[in-house]
Amino acid sequence: MIFFIIRRLFMTVFLLLVVSLVTFAIFFLVPRLAGQTAYQLAAQYVGKNPIPSEIKTVETKLGLNAPIWLQYGRYIKGIILGTHYNAGPDVSYCPFPCFGYSFRNQQPVWPQLISDAPVTISLAIGAGVLWLIGGVAIGVLSALRKGSFFDRFSMGMALAGVSLPIFFTGLLALTLFSYKWQIFPNVHFVSFTANPVQWAKNLVLPWIVLAFQYAALYARITRAGMLETMGEDYIRTARAKGLPERRVIVKHGLRSTLTPIVTIFGMDLGLLLGGAILTETVFSMQGLGYFTFLAIQNQDLPEIMGVVLLASFFIIIANLVVDILYTIIDPRVRI
Amino acid sequence: MAVPIDVTTGPGGPPDAGATSSGRSIEGRSLGQIAWLRLRRDKVAIGGGVIVVILILVAIIGPHVVANPDVYHSNLVDPTVLRPTGSFGGISIAHPLGVEPQTGRDVLARIVVGTQYSLLIAFLATALSVIIGTFFGIIAGYFGGWVDAVIARTMDVFLAFPLLLFALALANVIPYSAFGLSGNTLKIAVMVFVIGFFAWPYLGRIIRGQTLSLREREFVDAARSLGARGPYILFRELLPNLVAPILVYATLLIPANILFEAALDYLGVGLYVPTPTWGQMLSIAVTNQYWQIDPWYMIMPGLAIFITVMAFNLFGDGLRDALDPKTR
Amino acid sequence: MKRRGTIATATAAALAALVVTACSSGGTSSTTGTGSSGNNTSANFFNKGLTQVMNPSTHKGGTVTYESHAAPDSFDGGNTYYAWVLNFSRLYEMAMFTYKSCPGQCGLTLVPRLATDMGTASADGKTWTFHIQSGVKYENGSTVTASDVKYAIERTYDRSVMANGPTYYQAILTDPTYPGPYKDKSPNKMGLTAIDVPNATTLVFHLQAAFPDLPYVLAFPSTAPVPPASDTGANYQLHPLATGPYKFQTYQLNKQLTLVPNTAWSASTDPQAKQLASKIVMNLNVNQANVDNLLLTNQAQVDAAGVGVGPAAQAKIETNSTYKANAVNPINGFARFVYIDTKVAPFTNLHCREAVEYAANKTTLQDAWGGPIAGGQIASTVNPPNIIGFSKFDLYNALSQPNGDVSDAKTQLQQCGQPNGFSTTMGYRNDNPQETAAATALQASLQQVGIKLTLKGFAGGTYYTSFCGDPAYVHSHSLGLCAGGWGADWPDGYGFLDELSNGNAIASTGNTNIEELNDSVINNLFAKANTETGAARTAIWAQVDHQIMADAGILPEVYQKSLIYVPTSATNVFVQTYYGMLDYLAIGASSGS
Repeated sequence: MIFFIIRRLFMTVFLLLVVSLVTFAIFFLVPRLAGQTAYQLAAQYVGKNPIPSEIKTVETKLGLNAPIWLQYGRYIKGIILGTHYNAGPDVSYCPFPCFGYSFRNQQPVWPQLISDAPVTISLAIGAGVLWLIGGVAIGVLSALRKGSFFDRFSMGMALAGVSLPIFFTGLLALTLFSYKWQIFPNVHFVSFTANPVQWAKNLVLPWIVLAFQYAALYARITRAGMLETMGEDYIRTARAKGLPERRVIVKHGLRSTLTPIVTIFGMDLGLLLGGAILTETVFSMQGLGYFTFLAIQNQDLPEIMGVVLLASFFIIIANLVVDILYTIIDPRVRI
Repeated sequence: MAVPIDVTTGPGGPPDAGATSSGRSIEGRSLGQIAWLRLRRDKVAIGGGVIVVILILVAIIGPHVVANPDVYHSNLVDPTVLRPTGSFGGISIAHPLGVEPQTGRDVLARIVVGTQYSLLIAFLATALSVIIGTFFGIIAGYFGGWVDAVIARTMDVFLAFPLLLFALALANVIPYSAFGLSGNTLKIAVMVFVIGFFAWPYLGRIIRGQTLSLREREFVDAARSLGARGPYILFRELLPNLVAPILVYATLLIPANILFEAALDYLGVGLYVPTPTWGQMLSIAVTNQYWQIDPWYMIMPGLAIFITVMAFNLFGDGLRDALDPKTR
Repeated sequence: MKRRGTIATATAAALAALVVTACSSGGTSSTTGTGSSGNNTSANFFNKGLTQVMNPSTHKGGTVTYESHAAPDSFDGGNTYYAWVLNFSRLYEMAMFTYKSCPGQCGLTLVPRLATDMGTASADGKTWTFHIQSGVKYENGSTVTASDVKYAIERTYDRSVMANGPTYYQAILTDPTYPGPYKDKSPNKMGLTAIDVPNATTLVFHLQAAFPDLPYVLAFPSTAPVPPASDTGANYQLHPLATGPYKFQTYQLNKQLTLVPNTAWSASTDPQAKQLASKIVMNLNVNQANVDNLLLTNQAQVDAAGVGVGPAAQAKIETNSTYKANAVNPINGFARFVYIDTKVAPFTNLHCREAVEYAANKTTLQDAWGGPIAGGQIASTVNPPNIIGFSKFDLYNALSQPNGDVSDAKTQLQQCGQPNGFSTTMGYRNDNPQETAAATALQASLQQVGIKLTLKGFAGGTYYTSFCGDPAYVHSHSLGLCAGGWGADWPDGYGFLDELSNGNAIASTGNTNIEELNDSVINNLFAKANTETGAARTAIWAQVDHQIMADAGILPEVYQKSLIYVPTSATNVFVQTYYGMLDYLAIGASSGS
């Protein structure tokens, strides 16, 4: 088990390097391939009203004319060892992990990410709990009551759920519940430490909208998995042995259905933690997703790179956790 | 963004010869025939299929038939409030789905032209995913060993990428003209690349799994004992048996790609103005707050996306059920 | 599969929900607004705030809440260029000069704030002497000295740290290559030779050439004093040392700012400002729809961005007389137009440019910007009406034929040798939805005379540095037209027109004379203006405006207007005519302590 985890940790570091390489390529290599000059690239690293000499200085400081591999090396070194940047009277040091310095906001990127993370985490985890429990429960019930009205209706809604874009359902929800009927007026993020009740209240709408889409998917998967499992011989054996039905369903049926669900849940949660861009933009919650959206609008490259790396990190860690959980849930899986 | 492909179940291999009817000489039915029979009985899937065909027709013929989507009709818009003057978003004989707030452009025309772009990008991206995914999936599944290990690891790497973020970033860095293309052509190429290229592992994993189970079957041994070599086995024996899952998952990948493309448009990195796309219409509805003063303008593209995606999902579901003897 | 038969049911349910939404919120509902409930003693009416004070009150205490859909470029006075921040920063920083806090035209008057008077210029106009008040204190009790003002100005020279503000000092004062105090080797960091500080209350400015508008430049918050020992460079924006009636209590970057009264401030040194509310809170990056809702339901007092409500709230206000009585519709001083580059073919020919002027459909452009109320007035001149020196003229029938003058356009096309039109490319900012809509509208209207526009969108952040503001790029990509807009840095014609049309304003990056006019008539008029004063000087601006239009260098679209809603919980509200938005120095809360 230990070796497994160590091996996976190495893999994690490797994956992060690859992601950083691809990110770097997107922001520094692709524009050059597409015809942008180093000067034009440098112009995206300065403030809003720069003078030409300033752009030239930045171009030199960032070494945009150096060979690509050298630039990448410097970039990685900056993340790990930290960089110094000029903030005025003193030179400030931005320690590990130094995701860079945003020239637009004149603040280092990492603290901004940290302050936005709670929003996304609240959104993702809350919705995750909702959709996992809801989706699996509905899927199980549908499978058990196969062919009934409940089954047909819930599968119908599930199909609708995966067919509607989330920014559309979000808008509908806002129109009806926030503006028309004023049940949730002024949806915006309130920190949990500041006011837990308001925190939860303001998150209800985004949670439901987000969970609706995923629950639909999970219900379908659970149902299909349960149907397949419940038809297996060992279920019949368990029933023949006289076990209570609930035990048969949960302990025997659900257990093996859960493995693919755990995998997908891990991946989905990891993705969401990196920023639920669509949900956050619709509900104007300032989490990592909204941060990404604004950064892209402002063409603030250091911020975009920082958040992409962070998002990839979440996904990779989520996959690692899922793999570990896999070995616990499914004894057939040998490490 | 989750790809709504149900990863668990998949069609099995070629079934045994099917049942016979009364009296006639007993002949086995091929997989295709059995599947077709099952599909024909599934009314809802057929419904979905019909809608898909209609959409494709609309995409091909529609733009030539409807009005010009770029013409302004400021006389149909109330100047102070910028809402269409007619009711229900300005529905009339001339404008069956109403007009756009502020500009007065015909909504039906914009939706029809949007269909063209949505389907084009989704199909192309799916094709890209299918080609890459099938290729690597088959090779990984058949050859096993280190080839499989490398490809499987590569797929893991791809799955570690935050897809939407990369798509946003990439679509943003590409300037107006690059690599010999420019304007909308370049944008379409970039979007197809981004959507198709980063999503191939979803298909690749499935194909790999299928290949792994197929290669143990007798017909592969038989072919090998006849002297067939790798490429022949791969492309003449295995591939035809993979057509079924490829088809099913391609059909289920298309609606995911439509949603993804709509999301990119919504976030502002889609095609250039004034090109009408569904996601862009929704985006305009949001940024200009039209959804509060003229909800019909938001509902039309939302419905268009919904119906299209639903139709593909229904058809894909039906296809999968028809091809898989176990899921009923 | 039978289960999927209920798809129809589910779809029907979804459709029903949609129809409910649409039917109920699509119509014009004249609900009674929460307008006049409250402690408001005088009645408001539409546009009262243009000429009078709305909800006048002397009530002290309470919280004034500002909401903004964006974040500031910086709250540091030396590093900002946003109009609303220039307005808002006066609450915590005292610059040398400010605009009078009164409704109507009187708001265009410059008055001394930290300075004691309007300053004295030498005979040749190249040396100016200013005195500052002696009793002004920072929030920590220490006294403001003239060298603090010099230091504040010096900071703006280091563009690597202070990158956002205007660059007037470098252009006007001697010693333009001063590297900024962070690289300054002299003791006390007073190395800028362009400003002398003979004693603690006197400043002497040395100019490259006579510049009568210098006091206007000193109204920028970059002259708000900064003690060198407290300067933290890029982090100073987190807590600038206050000299105004309020000081920073907490600031979460780009999220929320809280101001509380500055006990070291004294009203006798600062008659323009008031210290009414006991707390000022500003929430940043709030969805515009939320901002509007908060205002309409009296939960917040001011939309800080000052450019008015969004389209949905606009519809509500327009159709509800109670809301409308609390609304005000000023010209915000921003003009939107399209530059027609005189150096890009075929616009090298005057008649081709005039064809564009005639053909453009001003009504659809106005609609693109938001219609006649929230968008703007159709413009026929470069100067907007709230500029001193504005004169109304219409060379291209923009006002008489707002839907475009196709026949005259075609005549001009004949004369420039392109009777069937031509093709060209237009640059615009694709992250600005209205500018995008305007570009699209222009494309549609020019299409009618055969001019085919290819639209090229660029991100707003680099638009002026790398694309439309980079003449090399413009030429190599044949951008014949570029979308643009301009707000005056100060309300006289110079502030508006110089950067737009002076031949010597053409720069290789960040260019604002995008039409690349180098007309000696215009250049000479500007030179002459620096030697004139008073009415003679004012008259020159109209002439410059007229010449720009005669050269067809700029296609004016609208003089922007904003539809601003004033909740009854806000007191002493009026439009400050220079800023084109509410005067933030005056606003108080109607209740609370």
